[in-house]
Amino acid sequence: MPSVCFYFQVHQPFRIKRYSFFDIGKDHFYEDDEKNQVILDKVSEKCYLKTNRKMLDLINRHKGKFKISYSLSGTAIEQFEKYRPDVLESFKDLAKTGCVEFLSETYYHSLSFIFSKEEFRRQIEMHRAKIKEHFGQTPKIFRNTELIYNNELASVIEKMGFKGILCEGVDRLLKGRTPNYLYQPAGSLKIKTFLKNYSLSDDIAFRFSDRNWKEWPLQADTFASWVHQIAGNGEVLNLFMDYETFGEHQWEETGIFDFLDYLPKEIMSHSDFDFKTLSEAADSYKVRDIYDAPDFISWADAERDLSAWLSNPMEKEAAKRIYALEERVIKSENKDLIEVWGKLQTSDHFYYMCTKFWSDGDVHKYFSPYDSPYDAYIYYMNVLADFESTIDLFYKDKKEGKKLEKKNNL
Amino acid sequence: MAEIIKSQPVKSPDLPKVLMLGWEFPPVINGGLGVACHDLCIALSKYANVTMIIPKSNPDFVVKNLNLIGLNTIDAKTLRNIGFAGENYKKLNKVHYIDTHLNPYYNGKSAGNQPLDLKSQYLKSVQIGNETAEVFHIDDLYGGDVIEKVTVFGKLAAKLACSLDFDVIHAHDWMTMIAGMEIKAQTGKPLVMHIHSLEVDRGGPDSKGWVYQMEKHGMEYADVLMPVSHFTGKIIHDYYGIPMSKIHTCHNGIRPVVPFRGEKLFKEKMVLFVGRLTRQKGPEFFVDIAEKVLEYNQDVRFVMAGTGEYFNPLLERAAQKGIAHRFHLTGFLNLDKVRQLLSIADVYMMPSVSEPFGLSAVEAVQFGVPSVISKQSGVSEVLQGSLKFDYWDVHRAAQYVLALLNDEVLAEKIKEDAYKDLEHISWDNASQTVIAGYKKFNLIQDKVTS
Repeated sequence: MPSVCFYFQVHQPFRIKRYSFFDIGKDHFYEDDEKNQVILDKVSEKCYLKTNRKMLDLINRHKGKFKISYSLSGTAIEQFEKYRPDVLESFKDLAKTGCVEFLSETYYHSLSFIFSKEEFRRQIEMHRAKIKEHFGQTPKIFRNTELIYNNELASVIEKMGFKGILCEGVDRLLKGRTPNYLYQPAGSLKIKTFLKNYSLSDDIAFRFSDRNWKEWPLQADTFASWVHQIAGNGEVLNLFMDYETFGEHQWEETGIFDFLDYLPKEIMSHSDFDFKTLSEAADSYKVRDIYDAPDFISWADAERDLSAWLSNPMEKEAAKRIYALEERVIKSENKDLIEVWGKLQTSDHFYYMCTKFWSDGDVHKYFSPYDSPYDAYIYYMNVLADFESTIDLFYKDKKEGKKLEKKNNL
Repeated sequence: MAEIIKSQPVKSPDLPKVLMLGWEFPPVINGGLGVACHDLCIALSKYANVTMIIPKSNPDFVVKNLNLIGLNTIDAKTLRNIGFAGENYKKLNKVHYIDTHLNPYYNGKSAGNQPLDLKSQYLKSVQIGNETAEVFHIDDLYGGDVIEKVTVFGKLAAKLACSLDFDVIHAHDWMTMIAGMEIKAQTGKPLVMHIHSLEVDRGGPDSKGWVYQMEKHGMEYADVLMPVSHFTGKIIHDYYGIPMSKIHTCHNGIRPVVPFRGEKLFKEKMVLFVGRLTRQKGPEFFVDIAEKVLEYNQDVRFVMAGTGEYFNPLLERAAQKGIAHRFHLTGFLNLDKVRQLLSIADVYMMPSVSEPFGLSAVEAVQFGVPSVISKQSGVSEVLQGSLKFDYWDVHRAAQYVLALLNDEVLAEKIKEDAYKDLEHISWDNASQTVIAGYKKFNLIQDKVTS
């Protein structure tokens, strides 16, 4: 009996402002509050509130048979707390139905696994606490930033006690096999890997409103018939996508909400098919084969590797510099420094610096708050320069404070 | 004196036949327009049989598929065949000379209306054997009464064109517009106007003088306009009221060079400006940017290569701001000297107010110099690898200069990206775009694909 697993990524970064060279040393506040709020408001209205309402409706209508999973980044949750508590409440309402699972990820939606395992674990713990606080769940399935994944990551995650992990079903690793089974990561024993079925996922996430697509306009029954084709040759169909697909990437006018409205019914019209949360699927199905990903893969861009964040020298330099601060920031035990450092790790900052102009550049441009990748880099490096001097100042003050203390004790 | 045209191009029957009308043309004049026309013609001659009429030509200049006719070198027989030799123009007694020094690329002042008359000083009698013929004769294309010159050029070119075989008329800028219009009127052949520069660029948005009127009339009369950038296309639409549907952008190309790196004789970094010191090029912003940068980094020298009416005011402005010790005006430099400067520059700066293309920024790229250029330029449309600012945004430009000077990763990355852009900036690409434009507007038959 095959199961459909819907998983949605909900993420918003703390975008940094057009922080100029002339601000260094004068302005220690880096975020573009206004822009972050405006974007969150827009996405809340167009996507989060509407889609959450629809999901709640579907869960109620299907009497608990429609199930979904989410991964909310820590930065997204913080922004909900700060600007849109109503959105946070609507997620809590979903959590109360018992049909919704919240996954684990790095709090800052960061690339930390690549640069520091310790920081990676710290952020997972932070995120775990946040999810527990709001939704009363302890995540059992892990989803790394933008499905960045390799064998080593699976192994580290297994050791942390998770029972499942998500990743992209990359053709070159599947080698002709179907993504519609659970796999065992090479080098791991217990943990199960969920592979995204990118073809069916992208039909919804990217092609849905494409008028040049031969399947346009896509109807729920048509899509369901494609889903039903996996019967006999698959157990878990993983439809993974940005939550913003609904209403933001695909506008309401495209009919995406109507599509969503009919989809569960159409899929369940075949009595063998049901919906499961990822934990339920992990408990229900066995792994069928080994998925060997020695190198990093992800769900981003045509390459489906790290090149969306770490392909050019600017991205590499920026990442190197921010992670080089780890020891001094953590040892400071200063809450503010640690928080700023965390936020500067958010992968989006590096995504905006991407210069793959001629293939996926358009997507990067769509999401970027800046005029060019160079601007993204320049502002980020200016911020970093100020942040570094703030750290210096902190240690200098501390040293002088100690001297003063010593003197007073004498 | 007048010589027989030596160039005898091999005509390929299947290629479209293009009648080009030029004003400057190397090696007589090496201005920006001349170089652009020349390079475009040569590249285009691969895809078309090009006949070019210009005021002057060097008779030894031969290019395959390019038939170059200088109106000062036409032989008597040709002129007689087109009805210019003989009785009518034997006596050129009334000679006008209006000393206005109208120079289209320097200040754009117009000379007002002058009676249009072929009895001009610019028609000279020449003796060829036993025959007398009149040819176009001027020494300085932009001195004296330019309006009369372009008018005479137009009439003479139109007469000549009646004896030529071509599919498309392709004129360049306002100096050849009268010629283009005359030829279209007489032959009914479609007229393409290639726009390299406009009065609105040179004189500012309020320019409404004779040249502006000429341009507006000419562009309305033309069938297709080929500006060198979308930026210029937008000006044609916004300031001349021409519908966008007539506009087909053809970005310029550039001649390949063999770049070299020179040795700097001072330790400071160097920011370079190359261009005429006129309003259009925004030189005063360069001074303001220099001041802002020097506030934060004193180890930089700012060098301006070029001359123009802003020379003295700029000198004073730099002195007034107390940055004269780091600010250098070189005056006019020839190409070799400019290249020497490019070979030692660390940043290239182009703060143009209105720049139809801006080839100099591409030259900087050829020399591996990262560039900071204004968004009000055509070249910003083809250079991904550069930092772009609105010409009035001194703050932002200064920030970019500082970033390039302080951050080697950034400078290297921009250099590398700009090199990639260079692959797309060629005269061959430009001429293919021209041909595509002819086809798009059905000016020629698509023989190649059929």
